[in-house]
Amino acid sequence: MTSLVSAHGVSKNYGNVRAVDNVSFEIEKGKIMGLIGPNGAGKTTLLKAVLGLTDCEGELSVLGLDPFRQRKELMQNICFIADVAVLPRWIRVSQLLDFVDSTHPNFSREKAESLLDKTNVSARRDSRVRELSKGMVTQLHLSIIAAVDAKLLILDEPTLGLDIIFRKEFYSNLLSDYFDEERTILVTTHQVEEIENILTDVMFINEGRVILDETMDSLSASYVELMTSGEHADNARKMGPIAERDIFGKSVMLFERPDRDRLGEFGELHTPSIADLFVAKIKGAAA
Amino acid sequence: MIANQIALIRREFWEHRSIWVTPAAVAVVVSLVSLAALVTVSAFDREVHLAIFSAANLAGDAERQAALTMYFLATSWIFLVSLAILTIFYSLDSLYSERKDKSILFWRSMPITDSETVVSKLLTAVLMLPLVTVAVIMATHFINLIVSSIWIAIQGGDAGHIVWGSVALFDNWTAALLFTLASALWMSPFIGWFLFVSAFTKRAPLLMAFMPLILIPIIEWLFFRSKIFLEAVLDRGDLNPLLRGVDFERLFDEDKLKVNEEAIRLLAQLDIGDFIVSPSLWAGFVVCGLFTTAAIYVRRFRDES
Repeated sequence: MTSLVSAHGVSKNYGNVRAVDNVSFEIEKGKIMGLIGPNGAGKTTLLKAVLGLTDCEGELSVLGLDPFRQRKELMQNICFIADVAVLPRWIRVSQLLDFVDSTHPNFSREKAESLLDKTNVSARRDSRVRELSKGMVTQLHLSIIAAVDAKLLILDEPTLGLDIIFRKEFYSNLLSDYFDEERTILVTTHQVEEIENILTDVMFINEGRVILDETMDSLSASYVELMTSGEHADNARKMGPIAERDIFGKSVMLFERPDRDRLGEFGELHTPSIADLFVAKIKGAAA
Repeated sequence: MIANQIALIRREFWEHRSIWVTPAAVAVVVSLVSLAALVTVSAFDREVHLAIFSAANLAGDAERQAALTMYFLATSWIFLVSLAILTIFYSLDSLYSERKDKSILFWRSMPITDSETVVSKLLTAVLMLPLVTVAVIMATHFINLIVSSIWIAIQGGDAGHIVWGSVALFDNWTAALLFTLASALWMSPFIGWFLFVSAFTKRAPLLMAFMPLILIPIIEWLFFRSKIFLEAVLDRGDLNPLLRGVDFERLFDEDKLKVNEEAIRLLAQLDIGDFIVSPSLWAGFVVCGLFTTAAIYVRRFRDES
């Protein structure tokens, strides 16, 4: 497997604040990596470093390039949508297509037009971005991005502020129009539950450090949730859960690489959701 | 590279419609004032316009040409004033608005370098704005000459002779083009400074751009009792080497009450050679280059978070 993104000991300081602290990870081709972390965890800083928007310490290679120093070459093969990288409000839909068409060597105008035809923006080619709803702007942005033959797509809170229908549509369009085994996606979002079904890999980041980096398959093998109560709960607790919470009078405990057969004797076993695992990991890191 | 520049400059025209709306608005005002002048003259006694026609008919070619050239200058200077104001606002807005509306990260997600983007804004300010303004000056001049011809024809005058036989279109228009472009090049250090302020400031670009121009001379005077900075700035406004040859007294020979024929040609007033070899011009380019480089640096290295 080839690594599209390779980070070794990457750090970034803002004054005295260490936003990213000695982070190392690899992202391989054809993966959909979810980068999950609380606000201020360093997600956006890390993405900026990957996009060459900010310099950093350590070794960082994206598509074999130094992102900060070879940004133009990089941008031919990377696309990103970020809630902070908004489309200019004054531009018309048709002008935006003209501009990307004339500056981006890997952009297919035909593909963008046909993707747009399937959206609410279809009849609004002469409208300015400011006249479109937020949902339409996201559809427009995704249509443009999906029409770029890019190797890596970076999404930073792409569905922030959208209603549930647009959010669902966004991710289903992402999979149908953009993703294939030649392409790779790195996505951050707070709405973890909406993307956990599409991820192949997940990485948790907190206070600038990576606290978990696993494939989704190994995650379900490594972590297990037990629902139990009463005496069983006391016995299970002796096996060292990494987190525990109460639901309807029952105890729900989360274990890392437990003896499943033994644990199964105490109650029902489930694969934990990413959100629950995330909360457990963050609390565990804080404890 | 060139394809990107064309796309980027076209983008500037989309975003800043004032590039053509401003000269177009001035054109409407100038044309209306010209028309009002014709109407006003028509309202006077028949003797007045007869006097105008007989004067126009009796005057020599040189006088008629001088009168039409004066008319061209009188209607054109206001475009240059509006161009100066437009250039200031355009340059100050060019790298500021993309940060204010947060679209900068979208633009930076395209495979375009920061240098290409900033250079496209410099080229727009130094070349495209003057070119658009000159094109509108020419169009306005042409339209107003046609309107004047119609008026003269209605009054029974010979427009072909009075207007079209006398107007020095090539001279007037070429001089307008050269003067406008040369003025923009001459003022390029200010344009570079405005681009830098636009890339750099977090708020109030207009204030940030002009405050140092006022504060530095005051501080310099208080501490050093010198006026080097102030004089350098004022000289830039004053001493365009292109116009060094202009001598308004040569235009009209008072003793003979006659227009001086070789002096009424606008092109003859402009000293292109002197302008191009002027060290001040090239010093200005260096200053413009330094500020533009600084603007590129700021856009490239500043972290927007």
